[in-house]
Amino acid sequence: MSNQPIVKLVNVNKSYGNVYALEDINLEFYPGEIVSLVGDNGAGKSTLTKIISGTEGPDDKGQIMVDNQVVNNWTSAKARARGIETVYQNRALSEQQTIYDNVFLGREITNRFGFINRKKEIEETESLMRKIGYTSKVWTPFSSVNKLSGGERQGVAISRAILFDSRLVILDEPTTAMALTEAAEVLEFVRNLKTSGKSVIFISHNPWDAHAVADRFVILERGKIVFDGPKGSMSADDFIALLHKFAKKDIKS
Amino acid sequence: MSEQKKGKLIPERLKPVLGALIFFVVMLAAFIASSPEVFLTVGIYSAVFLSLPLFAIMGMSLVFVTAAGEIDLAFPSIIPLSGLAFAWTLQQTNLNFILAAIFSVVVGISCGLLNGFLITKLGLSSLITTLGMNFAFIGLTNVLNNGEVGSFGPIPAQMFWMFAIALVLGMIFHRHKFGLHVRVAGDNPEAGRAMGVNIERTKILCFALVGLCASIVGILGIFLLSTYFSTMGEAYLLPTLAAVFVGGTPVTGGKGTIGGLVIGAATVVFIQTGVVAAGLDGQWTSLGFGLVIVLSLLGHRKFSGRLTR
Repeated sequence: MSNQPIVKLVNVNKSYGNVYALEDINLEFYPGEIVSLVGDNGAGKSTLTKIISGTEGPDDKGQIMVDNQVVNNWTSAKARARGIETVYQNRALSEQQTIYDNVFLGREITNRFGFINRKKEIEETESLMRKIGYTSKVWTPFSSVNKLSGGERQGVAISRAILFDSRLVILDEPTTAMALTEAAEVLEFVRNLKTSGKSVIFISHNPWDAHAVADRFVILERGKIVFDGPKGSMSADDFIALLHKFAKKDIKS
Repeated sequence: MSEQKKGKLIPERLKPVLGALIFFVVMLAAFIASSPEVFLTVGIYSAVFLSLPLFAIMGMSLVFVTAAGEIDLAFPSIIPLSGLAFAWTLQQTNLNFILAAIFSVVVGISCGLLNGFLITKLGLSSLITTLGMNFAFIGLTNVLNNGEVGSFGPIPAQMFWMFAIALVLGMIFHRHKFGLHVRVAGDNPEAGRAMGVNIERTKILCFALVGLCASIVGILGIFLLSTYFSTMGEAYLLPTLAAVFVGGTPVTGGKGTIGGLVIGAATVVFIQTGVVAAGLDGQWTSLGFGLVIVLSLLGHRKFSGRLTR
């Protein structure tokens, strides 16, 4: 693992009126690692991702650093330009369009009159699908998205995220409301992202999924980081016990 | 096309077009069987070819609006309003056709843009807005128009215009990124916005396209009839919308087909012309329409396997 973080958050705070969604967050994301970001509903996972992906700004005193440089007026367009892509919970796919149309939506490969170069888009889509380990032989880039399973749809959204030399892919609850086999498929996509050299922030409140893919865990509770450490030899049971420990503390306080 | 997969003979994209085509052929066969003396002569077809292009050109723009998840009911009044602009300019300029056509197109597009702004920027329902604007535009036409305008020679080139416009709009709808954005706007606008597509602008341009096509229809209509009258758009409303749906563009948005629209328009115009030519009373046209629309929707649903909506 190289020692320069892609993204570094320094004392990041976010409040909505009187409510603190995030308090003094100090966090680093390094190249080539999968970080599982876990925590209960309302712990601040979504807010944290929104700040990293640029859809929401932090409160004034904190800093966001990309490649060790402080960035100002961080927006989603800037984040994308710096190689940070987000796959949203609702997958943001247009289900009646083809896979390749979805992968290139908003960034179509066109000639100078704006007509889509289908051949090129299809080739690229095929290679992306191979890269993230799309196993199903039934679907071609021509298939419309509404013919795919939930896991495969997530795969389309993920391949879109790695399209333009992205380095850090944020996955917001990618396995929510999925059958076991579908979720397993998505976890395989996530591992393949790492194999192809991407960093991943994997957000979930399913501890098994989070444990299965992680190199490192970050646990959030009520807007604070309560644990940040490598998976090492920690078993899924140990990890769940750890989660319970923090959750109990929460109930006591 | 390499879209075909094992066990799937018909590519998904062509199903609506094929469905519309089968329906058209069956209908034509029924007409021929019922009165071969009429439907095996050239006369009936040249009658169809006179009005078909107008319905088809109008309908193509409605495929865009429908695929974008909206509806436009104002075009029957944009036709006479832009037609009036054309006829009036011709009169004022001693038959300067180019200037008249430009002015007519500007009027048509302006009406469409106005609709588009009201709907996207003010968030009004397109159904109600365009219904209202339909009255407003025809009212304006009547206020501005003080009687008839003179005659001009006919130009029998509508079929050429129909195919040329179908080619251009078909390429844009199916192959241009604008067409993709239109379909995404009707399917999942949030997905488009998340990927940086300007959904509002896309929809406004769809309404402007309706205005453009309405002005073309207005101009061609004036050539066809060699005269202008302010009710020239009235006959277009229901047949054109029917052509969109019979042609295989679902009312639910997200997809559509320009090729299917041309076939749908042919079906609709054939019923109009055919019912009368077969010696039936004009009243039968409505019955024919009703049956054909419902039957074709059932056919599309079965054929495309869309059983849920």
